Amino acid sequence: MFGIRMVNALRLGPPLLAGFAMLMAACAPAPATAPTSAPTTAPKPAATTAPAAASTTAPPTVAPTTAPASAKPTTAPAAPAPTSAPTALPAGTSPEALTANKPVDTAAFKKNPPWKLAISAGYLSNSWVVFAQQYAKYEASIHPEFAKDIVVTDANFNATKQVADIEDLLNRGVDAIVYWPVDDKAIEPVLEKAIAKGIPTVNVGGGYLDAPGVVSNAYIDQYLLGEAVAKRMAEVLNGKGQIISMLPIAGTTAAVDQDKALKDVLKNYPDIKLLDTQNGDWNRAKAKSITENLLQKYQKIEGVFSPAGQMSIGMAEAFEEAGRLQGVKFSPGDEYNGWLKYIAKHPDINTGIVTFPPSAGRTGVQQMVKILMGQPVTKGIQVPSVFIKLEDVAKAAEMDRPDDWWSSADLPEEFKPKS
Amino acid sequence: MTVAITVQAQPSTGRERPASLLGTTRSFVERRAIWLVLLVLIGCAGLLSPVFLNPINLFNIVRQSAVVGIASIGVTLVMITRGVDLSVGAVISLAAVLGAAVMGGQDGNVAQAVAMTLLVGTLVGAINGLLIALRGLPPFILTLGMAVAVQGSNLLYTGGTAYGVVAPGYRDVVNQRLGPVPLLVLIFAAVLLVGLLIQNGTLFGRRLYLVGGNPEAARLSGVNVSRTLFLAYTCSGFTAALAGLVLLARSGVSSNFAGQGYEFDALAAVVLGGTTFEGGKGGIGGTLAGVLILLVAFNLVNILGLNFNAQLVLKGSIIIGAAALYRLAQRRD
Repeated sequence: MFGIRMVNALRLGPPLLAGFAMLMAACAPAPATAPTSAPTTAPKPAATTAPAAASTTAPPTVAPTTAPASAKPTTAPAAPAPTSAPTALPAGTSPEALTANKPVDTAAFKKNPPWKLAISAGYLSNSWVVFAQQYAKYEASIHPEFAKDIVVTDANFNATKQVADIEDLLNRGVDAIVYWPVDDKAIEPVLEKAIAKGIPTVNVGGGYLDAPGVVSNAYIDQYLLGEAVAKRMAEVLNGKGQIISMLPIAGTTAAVDQDKALKDVLKNYPDIKLLDTQNGDWNRAKAKSITENLLQKYQKIEGVFSPAGQMSIGMAEAFEEAGRLQGVKFSPGDEYNGWLKYIAKHPDINTGIVTFPPSAGRTGVQQMVKILMGQPVTKGIQVPSVFIKLEDVAKAAEMDRPDDWWSSADLPEEFKPKS
Repeated sequence: MTVAITVQAQPSTGRERPASLLGTTRSFVERRAIWLVLLVLIGCAGLLSPVFLNPINLFNIVRQSAVVGIASIGVTLVMITRGVDLSVGAVISLAAVLGAAVMGGQDGNVAQAVAMTLLVGTLVGAINGLLIALRGLPPFILTLGMAVAVQGSNLLYTGGTAYGVVAPGYRDVVNQRLGPVPLLVLIFAAVLLVGLLIQNGTLFGRRLYLVGGNPEAARLSGVNVSRTLFLAYTCSGFTAALAGLVLLARSGVSSNFAGQGYEFDALAAVVLGGTTFEGGKGGIGGTLAGVLILLVAFNLVNILGLNFNAQLVLKGSIIIGAAALYRLAQRRD
């Protein structure tokens, strides 16, 4: 009885859901999250994609379910060649791309400087969004049209608070709002209110949403990212071997798209056998525990599909401790510094990096500048994931920085977080 | 263990079970029932997967359980007093981040980092204890508030990215194996042993049961209730910080929220192990079984290779099933 009361108080959710969530949390050794609550509790780069997760569930018109399967194999160009310099991944084949190129009329938002910029953060509790925020501030700083003071609000994963935050921002008379959502649906009405007042909104959380309340999105395409990661892994394995796959929180766009991308790619590689797919929730400790268990189950694991560097580290450590690091190749992960540092020390297991750039924050502000100047923009601007070949990974790794850090060479030192 | 139970029964005012031989025997079986459940679960797991009983796998399970297990020891002490400590998850996060920050990637700073981290964790526990013991604040809401405040301090301190670099030597040492036995397993065992000694071999341990069983009676019989509560929460802060240091060793630091959710894991393990919200009974021994049940469930669903959704259903079922079996075993007696 007390237990249930307590859970209610903590989760602030419907009692059943809360009870279930606790049960699930209880059975994992690492912070586990019930999939139902995923978008709001995603701990890590999770954050970056949590918004995306919300997007898919928001307007049914946005995510055409038929497009990807047929469109992808034919239109998606080959994975970046491992020998090339950093290469932008191909664009234009994901579900998002179908509406992302839609032009947006920005005439109603044109206004004279100084512009008062606001950042409405759905949360500021993971390193990726902290970097995205810093990129946004940096970009704003190089446009004199923006007023010096940037208002930042943090909803701390509380969708209701984000609604209130944005209402406050409207009352304070800001001129432009960049944001990343806790829950797209929850803030849609208040975003529409902003637009009605002539205040443009740009989503910079990495997700994509085609809705009336969003003028434009700076987004990262999870399917393309997963596809590039899978192709690179398949190439390095020479098209054969037994692999395991580690995905983020079940049900998020990141997990769904990456999984689909992997399976689509594997159709062309019949000799690669996917032994197991697990959800490590962007949690290094959890990914490590799961991998320890899988290493007991499978005597031979030759490849690992893990697009999130943060989980790749935990997995690689499990392989290392089991003395099996020699026999395995890891797929590219992202530019999470802990993973870059790990690869710098163990270059033989890796296959390069496919970035998940926090510079989405910067791209979003650039988009906002155009909007405020009344220039035409599109509904979405893709922040390209970039392939970094193995030789260059060690250069990107910042060995003296914390693990919980993002490679960000183009972000000036004074804008970097504390380290 | 039986000593504690007998003492516990003495000051009870009839509401508690009588201090008879029967009562003692009953509690003995009650306490062992959870182990029976664990054995049944392990037996089933062994039948379902040949890999499960592989010694390396079993050691892995114990090693994976070290973080929750160590934190659960302090939580058990608190819950014996009818309290609860929801701040352990936040303290684990803080400890992992603070430990790495003080280490600054240098092996020379490890001792300082460990000392500092344990001190801060203990201090958080002590503040919990002081406010509960002296001001009589309800532990549930106080420790919940403390969790929020600690998490906030952590974010303020780090500025949003988990600031700090763990010393490589620290991880190498703590993660090593002595023969087939991971050092983490031995650390866990040592903390467990100390916890059992405190619980069963000290005056403080016996007072925990007195206070939890009937605080008023405990006070009337001359027990310093405030001091006992204070010490219990202080212990919980200490073990949570220790758990954070273990997490830091096991997985490095990668998040300000590394400990998120552990308060629920610990709570589930403690309650599953027979230390209830009513206080006055249970103990660390049962908690160990509770922790292992949770971790065996986690290991088993991985080893069976179920898909994620089926995993959740099975994990949930194992926990409910374990609780039900446990009840059944208690009733039968």
